[in-house]
Amino acid sequence: MSIPTKRPVGWLRAIAVAALGGWLWPSTAAAVDFSKYHTYQELSAELKALVAANPTIAKIASIGKTREGRDIWAIEIANPAGTPVEQRPALLVAANFEGDHVIGSELALYLVDFLVKGYATDPAVKQRLDNHVVYVVPRVNADGAELMFASVKSGRRTNATPYDADNDGRMDEDGPEDLNKDGFITVMRVKDPKGPFMISPEDPRLMKRADPAKGEPGGWALYWEGLDKDNDGFIAEDGPGGVDINRNFMHQYPYFEPDAGRYMVSEAETRAMLEFVLKHRNIAAILTFGESDNLIVTPTRRGDRAAANPINLLEFANRSLADARRVGLFQDTGGFGGRGGRGGRGGGGGMVIMDEGAFPGGRGGAAAQPTGRAAMPAQRPNTTIATLDYEYFRAISEKYRELTGLRATGITRTPAGAFFEYGYYQFGVPSFSTPGWGLPGGGRPAGMGMGAGAPAGPGGAAAGAALAGAPAGVGQRGGGGARGAMGGAAADAASADAPEGIDLRLIQWMDAEKIDGFVKWTPFKHPTLGEVEIGGFKPYLTTNPPAAKIAELGASHAKFALYLSSLFSKVKIAKAEVTALGAGLFRIKADIENAGFLPTALSQGAQARAVKPVMVQLGVPPDSIVTGNEKTNHIPALAGSGSRQSFEWVIKGTPGSTVTLKAVSQKSGTDTATLTLR
Amino acid sequence: MNNLCRLTTAAALLMAVAVFTSPGVSGQAKPSPQAHAAGKPAQTPAKAAPKDWTQAPSSERPFRVRLDFNRWHDVAELQADMKTLEKAYPKFLKYIVLGKSYAGRDIAGIIVNNPDTGPDTAKAAMYIEANIHGNEIQGGEICIYTIWYLMENYGKIDRITKLVDERAFYIVPTVNPDGRDYFMHGPGGNARSGHMPVDDDNDYQFDEDGPEDLNGNGIIEQIRKYVPGQGNYKKSTVDPRVMEPVKPGEVGDYIVLGQEGIDHDGDGRVAEDGPGSYDPNRNFASDWQPNYIQSGAMDYPFQLPEAKAVNDFWMSHPNIAGLQTYHNNGGMILRSPGAETAGEYPASDVRAYDELGRNAVRMLPFYRYLVIWSGLYTVHGGVTDWANDGLGILSFSNELWNNGQYFTSPELKEQQKDPNSPISPRVANYFFNDFLEFGDELTEWKEFDHPQFGKVEIGGAFKKTFGRVPPRFMNEELCHRNMAWTLYQADEMPKVTLGESKVEKLGDGIFKVWLDLSNPKVAPTILAKAAMNNVVPPDLLTVDGKGVEVISASWVADKWRPAVAQSIDQKDLKRIMLRNGLAGRTTRTIQYLVKGTGPLTVKYASLKGGTAEKTIPLQ
Repeated sequence: MSIPTKRPVGWLRAIAVAALGGWLWPSTAAAVDFSKYHTYQELSAELKALVAANPTIAKIASIGKTREGRDIWAIEIANPAGTPVEQRPALLVAANFEGDHVIGSELALYLVDFLVKGYATDPAVKQRLDNHVVYVVPRVNADGAELMFASVKSGRRTNATPYDADNDGRMDEDGPEDLNKDGFITVMRVKDPKGPFMISPEDPRLMKRADPAKGEPGGWALYWEGLDKDNDGFIAEDGPGGVDINRNFMHQYPYFEPDAGRYMVSEAETRAMLEFVLKHRNIAAILTFGESDNLIVTPTRRGDRAAANPINLLEFANRSLADARRVGLFQDTGGFGGRGGRGGRGGGGGMVIMDEGAFPGGRGGAAAQPTGRAAMPAQRPNTTIATLDYEYFRAISEKYRELTGLRATGITRTPAGAFFEYGYYQFGVPSFSTPGWGLPGGGRPAGMGMGAGAPAGPGGAAAGAALAGAPAGVGQRGGGGARGAMGGAAADAASADAPEGIDLRLIQWMDAEKIDGFVKWTPFKHPTLGEVEIGGFKPYLTTNPPAAKIAELGASHAKFALYLSSLFSKVKIAKAEVTALGAGLFRIKADIENAGFLPTALSQGAQARAVKPVMVQLGVPPDSIVTGNEKTNHIPALAGSGSRQSFEWVIKGTPGSTVTLKAVSQKSGTDTATLTLR
Repeated sequence: MNNLCRLTTAAALLMAVAVFTSPGVSGQAKPSPQAHAAGKPAQTPAKAAPKDWTQAPSSERPFRVRLDFNRWHDVAELQADMKTLEKAYPKFLKYIVLGKSYAGRDIAGIIVNNPDTGPDTAKAAMYIEANIHGNEIQGGEICIYTIWYLMENYGKIDRITKLVDERAFYIVPTVNPDGRDYFMHGPGGNARSGHMPVDDDNDYQFDEDGPEDLNGNGIIEQIRKYVPGQGNYKKSTVDPRVMEPVKPGEVGDYIVLGQEGIDHDGDGRVAEDGPGSYDPNRNFASDWQPNYIQSGAMDYPFQLPEAKAVNDFWMSHPNIAGLQTYHNNGGMILRSPGAETAGEYPASDVRAYDELGRNAVRMLPFYRYLVIWSGLYTVHGGVTDWANDGLGILSFSNELWNNGQYFTSPELKEQQKDPNSPISPRVANYFFNDFLEFGDELTEWKEFDHPQFGKVEIGGAFKKTFGRVPPRFMNEELCHRNMAWTLYQADEMPKVTLGESKVEKLGDGIFKVWLDLSNPKVAPTILAKAAMNNVVPPDLLTVDGKGVEVISASWVADKWRPAVAQSIDQKDLKRIMLRNGLAGRTTRTIQYLVKGTGPLTVKYASLKGGTAEKTIPLQ
């Protein structure tokens, strides 16, 4: 299943290309075609050609394999002369965690092209690549992305891992079907007296949820285009795949939802990304392209992201699946032991000590009676941007809007379990996500994103919530025809807080841009539902801009990446003085400075213990220090823009000998000073 | 006749020697003196000879394999014992390797299964592991004891035979072999961690300054320095071996400088960055929290090769219905949740846990049945939470051994209330060591010339084999009691049966069929929590029959009290899903309305509760 791409032999290939093109290194690769979306094979070939043509500054490596055997490529771009690359501050750019978001791969490919070709001509690029390093992982979910080029376009977001989405003991047995053979998986609308939806008065192509309080009748049900192949009453509730990689990381992981995987980091793609970043602790900033945003719309001052913008039509179709995972949940008849169980709580108290050995007699009372509430309330992880970090996010997103001209997002989603969230909350660096394109519109001024409670994700989230609170005997509703026509009660309730769908803006934009992105509703005779209409947004055209926009977006995002990599913190020994005090005693004074813009660690990075403190170490035997600072000192975080911290030692030493002072950091470089005692 | 009989016995015994004198397997039998006497001429007795009782079989049945349970085993010894047992019982036992530790040691285990009653994966299985914390070793011995006991008593004790026939066991004596060998052979007397390197002191070097056994006696001890009149510690007046912090206003003669070690990395500190330093039991995927919330969690769940290896094994053995992970110490039978924020389990699950837990404390004196977060402390990302919530496995964790067991009688407990008693809590360990261990478990203070601290004393420590683990001579009891409790849990794993059925002819070829579905065991076929999380496939009730059409299916609320049967609202009534299965000790009656000639075959298939089938004639 692996894509047969010939592996170019570095310099041979370079020479061959140079000979053919008659050009000289470094800019020898044929121009990359940015007027189209690239298949995996094409993307791999372009990347390898760019690396082969610039073998000094670019390297390509596989950081893992997808289930279908595709390599996940990582490109390292830096001029390796000078400071070892792994000790330099790094920018990581990663894209295509979501299978249906392929524009990110193109922007990432553009960036690789921009950097390797710009090294010779653009002083800013040269400066970055001489001093920093850029890692680019352009296609994380390569199996998912490949479906964009399939004959039937499904818009699937997940990878290729088989997954029993409705947990009925059968794997991937009831996926969507292209019933009308137009090459697109869209949705079906059916006249149904019990259906809660109505045709939108704003645009007859769109559907809205009828509001009984406004006297609106429903009359329509919505389903994904498909059949009930497993005869369970639900349509297309368990298709091929898989796990959404951007729901498989740890921050706010959506436990036990169908597209989130069996557990955190269950997927090869997820693990490959984590292993990569954990091996590259020099990564000081992360830019991802994906379906969530914290750049086009700045987070609120409280540190919340803007609310997600889903497509109502698809959300409605998803709701018809909400009950599929609840069928067969029967009331508990009690079993043994009668009613009620003992709760997990009781009186008493106690210390929290991290070793059972501290409780030689055990604690607490009788059997089956948990004895005490932990004295220390369980801490919870942070879920909003730290106050001290906010200004950096604001300034960077402002610059993003200035460089890209983007003001309003298209569809976006709640990033529960997304990689970029891990990047900030657990890896501890400035970490961003942008869809990489937007819709026209004023957008909101910086800091005014409509923050607050992120809504539940599509489909599965609603199902999960419904299940948790499901009353006994659910699944006992009378039903005929297709189940789920009404959506679960809980799913309905969830929709009350759901954000406004983006359907109207999307379709108006498509009309204005003359994008053929909506399949007109056309009648179809469905084997179980009878007369239906099939139509709706075409997959991929809602999550990716027209290919004609790639070059322009690529250029502006490359500039933004270049800007991001100019912000890194930089640790320097700004001052180091030796004064002889007599009697073999010397006073050493030193100032450690952060000459960069970003702090050596964000507040979150320091709190999460994700970013190591800067170590300031004087290379003398510990017992030669008479007074002053310790031999080894740590600065948890040093602000940027020239902030300094001072150190002072009085040591006993041999006149004329030398002492080494080191300032070592994870993401801000290393500096050394050799001091002569005199 | 008598002689012939004797010869036959002798031959049988000699054969037994031949069969079982393979390496590591102890040949049990020696020909008895009577067998040697067999060839002598018979003498006429002057009077009736006393009856020779040795002719009758001994009440003790010989063991095929002799292992020792009164000492501690390193990783190689545990593996050798498992291989010995596998060789002696090849039909039932299979030695497996689940994966490799960080340092490359095998994570080895045994599958116990009787192939005559089906493959292991078709039976509810009990998974038993130990030693996830490197210094919590004695569970490893329980594991070996369990395998040994099951095999030695199969065919001898009916209930053991039945258990082995009905259930499968996966037994892994150490899931942290690096930690175990660091404990057994190195200075790891207090080390919970595995051996993936972590930079504990933020100096950009990994594991460069661990504790060091400077005096080479195998124990990491304390370092103290004699500073007459200037210290903050003094020798206790009760027992000079006890070091006491001085009270305000008092003067001490000693300062305590920390644990035995030297400053390897020249940073002025001693033993501040040893191997690993994380908690392997915080690396599992339910309620996993990052390091700043849960210390020692590492960077992501199943990052540790050991955690990944056992989880991969669990994922590929969804028939595992029960789990025990042995820790030490304190005498606790623990269940999840590990954190209050996770919320209590659904009532029906709690009922099953409580029923098992109540019997556990009867089988394990000095142990308490507790919930982890409320009875011990908060644990995010522990084994039992993941096994219960993410895999639907009913899981316990025993904190083995409790030093209340040194002095067990009510009289001695009373004596201990007297602060001047030689067994008062402050000195009880010294008494026990002096009189029952002959002083072997405590090291004496000895002078040492330390490179950083100068002239110091090292010693005064109880050995690593004292305190967290039982005295060796008491370990067999610990092994047996804990095994017995875990086998009880294994016996109470779900097991579905189809009971009484009743057929009523309604005319026009339509029949009303009632059938009892039962799970007589304590554990449900699917934990309610697992059903909520959708992590266990539903139990399936399928109908097969020639030309049989199912018109409706319903639950009969009470067989003896007429009421409307509650319809089962599923589209395919020949394949009914029971997402939360059958609760423990439950019988439910299902009513089918079927049309056809039959017979009707109903099958109940549960991943963790087995399969039952019944054919019902329609007449």
